[in-house]
Amino acid sequence: MLVSDLPNSYQEVFKTSRGAVYQCDASNRLILAFWDTFTPMSSRDFAQFRRMVDTVDVRQMALSTDAADDVEILTPPRSERCYVLTLCEVIHLRELLGGAQAMLDLNSLLRECGCRLS
Amino acid sequence: MKDLARLRTPIKESVELALNQQIQMEMVSSSRYLAMAGWCDRNGFDYSAGFFYKQSEEEREHAMKFFHYLNDQGATSISPEIPPVQQEFDTLRSIYEGALEQEIAVTDSINRIVAICRRESDFVTEELLKWYIKEQMEEEYIARRCIELFGQIPADQIFELDKQLSEVSYDGNAFE
Repeated sequence: MLVSDLPNSYQEVFKTSRGAVYQCDASNRLILAFWDTFTPMSSRDFAQFRRMVDTVDVRQMALSTDAADDVEILTPPRSERCYVLTLCEVIHLRELLGGAQAMLDLNSLLRECGCRLS
Repeated sequence: MKDLARLRTPIKESVELALNQQIQMEMVSSSRYLAMAGWCDRNGFDYSAGFFYKQSEEEREHAMKFFHYLNDQGATSISPEIPPVQQEFDTLRSIYEGALEQEIAVTDSINRIVAICRRESDFVTEELLKWYIKEQMEEEYIARRCIELFGQIPADQIFELDKQLSEVSYDGNAFE
């Protein structure tokens, strides 16, 4: 799917130069756009995948000379997609998911205050 | 924009994380009590063995209470990894002292979670934790009373001491 073909129901949550996270209120899904792929996830799966990315041992990846530590293979929960990530990609994904989470937290905060984003 | 996280669960991520850590702590406690029970069993302290087997079961029940609570609330509970625990002990007294230290650590941890709940305005979880606070008050009392008995019953009456230790319970009702 091209970015220009995104459904109208997709709202941008957070975007970096490497990807974006959208929210679809029609399906109650968060969509991770990374590497030109679009992976829809439930809120629970998104939180779990973010934790998976956050707990990757990047120090080990940076310091180890073992070939097995060159990449990290991550599969989002209940998804057939598989991300094979280099150290830089893990950092980029972390930035993207962390930023998206901050925006989702802000949305929660606004809701609690009685405000609502369109 | 919908608040998808709130639609899924009322539990904030910081509380979910703290409760999952508590589940692990309770399960580690259960494993430690089981090791203590095993040591007592093979060293002839049958009454204390029974006491610690029961404690081990109780700690597991505490963990499961949190486990079910998280799932029921739409959050994610995580089956914890249990590291190896100490299997051998020097004396019966050292076991009871270890039990008290463990209970104090659990009490401190529960108190920290209450503080997190207050920060996050999670009054439902705080209500659940009130049960644990009372439970910990009783557990600490029992562990302390057991250690007192070592000073009250002569060491040469080890059979009587073992029996008395297993019968310590908390009869008071400080909350009513």
